[in-house]
Amino acid sequence: MRILVFFFFLFAPFLASAGTGQKPLSKHVPLIIKADSSAVRARHFSEKEINEYKTSKDFDYSYNDAPGASLWDRFWKWFWHLFDGVNSKAIPGGFWKYLFLILGLSGLVYIVLKLMGMDALQLLTGKSKSIEIPYEESLENIHEISFDEEIERAVSNKNYRLAVRLLYLNCLKKLNDRGFINWQLDKTNAAYISEINHPDKQQQFKNLTLQFEYIWYGDFPVDGNGYQHVNNSFHDFNQRLS
Amino acid sequence: MEEQIFEKRTDLSQLNAAVEQIKATLSTIVVGQQAMIELLIAGILADGHMLIEGVPGVAKTLTAKLIAKCVDARFSRIQFTPDLMPSDVLGTSVFNPKDASFEFRRGPIFGNVILVDEINRSPAKTQAALFEVMEERQVTMDGVTYKMEEPFVVLATQNPVEHEGTYRLPEAQLDRFLFKIEVRYPSLEEETAILAQQHQQKTTEQLQEVEPVLTAAQIMKFRKQVRELFVEPNILEFVAKIIHETRNNKSLFLGGSPRASLAIVNSAKAVAAIRGRDFVTPEDVIEVAPAVLRHRIMLTPDREMEGITPDEVVAQIIQKIEVPR
Repeated sequence: MRILVFFFFLFAPFLASAGTGQKPLSKHVPLIIKADSSAVRARHFSEKEINEYKTSKDFDYSYNDAPGASLWDRFWKWFWHLFDGVNSKAIPGGFWKYLFLILGLSGLVYIVLKLMGMDALQLLTGKSKSIEIPYEESLENIHEISFDEEIERAVSNKNYRLAVRLLYLNCLKKLNDRGFINWQLDKTNAAYISEINHPDKQQQFKNLTLQFEYIWYGDFPVDGNGYQHVNNSFHDFNQRLS
Repeated sequence: MEEQIFEKRTDLSQLNAAVEQIKATLSTIVVGQQAMIELLIAGILADGHMLIEGVPGVAKTLTAKLIAKCVDARFSRIQFTPDLMPSDVLGTSVFNPKDASFEFRRGPIFGNVILVDEINRSPAKTQAALFEVMEERQVTMDGVTYKMEEPFVVLATQNPVEHEGTYRLPEAQLDRFLFKIEVRYPSLEEETAILAQQHQQKTTEQLQEVEPVLTAAQIMKFRKQVRELFVEPNILEFVAKIIHETRNNKSLFLGGSPRASLAIVNSAKAVAAIRGRDFVTPEDVIEVAPAVLRHRIMLTPDREMEGITPDEVVAQIIQKIEVPR
């Protein structure tokens, strides 16, 4: 079978040429061309009709807006028309035209970025900008608290935990007033400890912070005697500060 | 550990000893990466799963394997590949011709410490297989629910999503990870130490010699202790404020879920326990917040284009919230 297929393809070109072989022309017949002797009649177009066609909107294929096009479509049509004009140098005016167009495009990009809430300069510089988040309103301002009165009130109510907290806030105020720390709402106790440059004071304040943290954050019970001990530590530290 | 000045309410000495031992064991093999090791231990104590992300070659898998070796429990490793099927992870029902019935063959997910290596190299279909088991600690197959044995910890590693051949993990799955721990390149000194260690052929030998430090029962006991630590109401409010701000922040498209608030509190408790305290301080919250939030929040596209990272947004949010005192 394969041999048959092989021979078929081998002789196929010969078979094809045999099938399409043309017989040679037996006799030469001369070609005769007859001359057209009919009369020629010139016809003229009506100028009026041509002008009508020219003024008709149906045959105006220039940049006319399609009927029913929205303002948005018209704007883009106008925009691309301008762009095509620049490319094909159809718009005269040279340098100023180009400058005007570049400024226009830059303005458009700026407006789009602004609307999206993005900083255009940020995109170029690649630096991340800080995000403005308003501070949570503090319920207390350590500069406005009358510490002596408040501590006395807390002790008389036997609320020693609160009294220790007030002692600690008072201590922070004194440290801030004397320039050892820069008091800010977001700073942690550890941040204040590291801010104190004086090693002795830093160690003492660290111990006081530990006492405050155990009593305030840890809710460790503190009685009158315990409070007195803590109060003495704070008093001693405050004395050394002044 | 901090100095004890008040009478102890919770005895954390065993927990602290075990933590120190794990740290010591790991530090003999893994050079540096102390923050990652501490977060991994905190994650185990807080009963969470952890996702470790970093470029290839920064000891992600090695650290995860070592942590698993430190725990005397059933360990299994699943290498996530693009052709991995859910049944390759969970298990499948196999026909038993002897009694003409189907029996469930448990997959490698049935273990205590599961290392899922290169988790983001499998498509969403396979990722979805982990949803139920990671959150509910159970696998439902053919109408039958199989409970996982406690402790159940998934330690997953992945390359950053920009890398070739990786898929972005679904948000629902990311939310199931307690921490996303980012592993950075070692410092110059650390790199030199790694080379010296490798030159002395220490790493391979030491890896074989690692002995378990913790038993499954101990982990369960420590977890109970961590759960019972005290958290002052103002600190709970502090956590709530942070999460609330992530939901209202203009830079974020997706904020933290309530699961994120719980994760911060639980992991802050674990960090407090590691520090030897039986109560949480704002510092503990601030320490764990980036690892808890960075994979749960989503930046708006314009912020992403500006090059702002989730860690920066978290830091800025925390900075603007008053520390409870």
